[in-house]
Amino acid sequence: MRLTQSLLSPVGKMTKLYSNLPESYIKRAMEKGKVGWKTPRAVQYQPKEIKKKHYRFTMNRPWTDEFARQNQVSRKKVYVKPIPKWSYFRGDMVEVLVGKDKGKQGTVSQVIEERNWVVVEGLNAHYRLVGKTAQYPGTMIASEAPLLVDDHVALLDPADNKPCTIEWRYNESGERVRVSTRSGRIIPTPTQAEETYDYKTAATYRESERDTKEDDLTIISFKPQLSTFEMDVAESMGIELGPPPSETHWY
Amino acid sequence: MSLYSFLSHGLRLASSVQTCLSPNKMVLIKGSLPLKSPSLAILNRLFQTSCSRYGLMEFFDDEKNWGADEVRVGRAWKAEELRLKSNQDLHKLWYVLLKERNMLLTTEHYYEKMEKELFPSPERIDKVEESMKNLEQVVKERNKAYWQLEVSSAEDGCRPVRRERNQFGVMVDRPLTEHVEPETDSNRVRPARPYASPDVANFLKLKHEQEKTERNREARRRHRHVVGLLRRFPDLDLDMLREQYPDVDMDRVRRDKRIRGNHEDRLSI
Repeated sequence: MRLTQSLLSPVGKMTKLYSNLPESYIKRAMEKGKVGWKTPRAVQYQPKEIKKKHYRFTMNRPWTDEFARQNQVSRKKVYVKPIPKWSYFRGDMVEVLVGKDKGKQGTVSQVIEERNWVVVEGLNAHYRLVGKTAQYPGTMIASEAPLLVDDHVALLDPADNKPCTIEWRYNESGERVRVSTRSGRIIPTPTQAEETYDYKTAATYRESERDTKEDDLTIISFKPQLSTFEMDVAESMGIELGPPPSETHWY
Repeated sequence: MSLYSFLSHGLRLASSVQTCLSPNKMVLIKGSLPLKSPSLAILNRLFQTSCSRYGLMEFFDDEKNWGADEVRVGRAWKAEELRLKSNQDLHKLWYVLLKERNMLLTTEHYYEKMEKELFPSPERIDKVEESMKNLEQVVKERNKAYWQLEVSSAEDGCRPVRRERNQFGVMVDRPLTEHVEPETDSNRVRPARPYASPDVANFLKLKHEQEKTERNREARRRHRHVVGLLRRFPDLDLDMLREQYPDVDMDRVRRDKRIRGNHEDRLSI
């Protein structure tokens, strides 16, 4: 159990899907500001390092430089309420249940799973004065504060557009769907949910110059045969492998 | 959708690679400068098996990416995609990925030395390494299938390892070496009991103590975390907590004084 807990990344699944980055890179980027001391790279030293293990997740995404900078100082531990299954996606219509925008409905624009947060577009916002100088009065910018899922926002029932509680059930084709417990209507997953940092939808992704083209990717060139990888490659390159080697002993 | 096209890169015949090897060596022994020798320049052309030849500049990124904020590329190759490809395709792809990794590491090193700008999109290194890891996994799978069919069900075609104690008395997987003679007491690679000394015994005692302390600390930390959760969210589902923290004793957590209110009688819980 200790092993599995240490292997588990503190970064949420929704965050990883949105970033579209390899897990190793997210880990590397997060640790950038964390290493306090490291042994020099020389033969007389064992590879040891002292680094902070705990992260405070904020509105900054874990792979950004702002996140690393923010995490250089230790802050008080935040206890996040465990949730059995995450049910809020980018593009969902929700109603705000608290604050000055209580009763208003909006779209989820950002999901921060590590803190049980969602950001609702244009709601629960405060204003910031940016760029004020002696000559220029500055610009007011609305910045939305995050809302806690389940307590501060609720998904809308498609039957009457009122907040509801949901349940995960299976539909006829065996997929898990969100169902309103009040009316039994399915709450469809919005197309915006598959948006990542790189593309809006997977179908509209534009391949870059060095990417493998979709047609090349789907070609099946594998043919099962009784040979190892090395034997097959050597044969196709015209390299004679000779008779099988005599028996050896490994110890 | 995926990283780095490889099927369009034609591979020259292997025989040209083989014929190149020996004359190349000869010229170098003679002491002539490799790049000035015209015959060697031709040989170099033959030696390179890919279509694009830019010499040393292949170790650097495209010129249009120099100083860019971001270089957008797709994701890494998945193992299930690589399983569709023939051994020859995988062989070519390995070298395409290797060249790409060399290029990225050189470019990253260059940016670090320059200290003026940041290396754009460093996640490309991780993507290439993930692809290489998946490719190696697929090759090992194929070899394992052959060895299990042809030799025995215990063989996997990889270098064998033996689980034994090293000179510090710690259990490790030692990679074995190949020998013509069978193993006897006289030609054994390591003595049978290298750890039977009082120093090693003392070291092991201290090591086990350190590990046990760390285990206990970790368990206490998790217990304290669950107590903190229940203190802040008293209505939490205990079964869900038991599922998420299987090695935390929930009865002990509920008896903890940090989550018990002052008015509650200790004996009634």
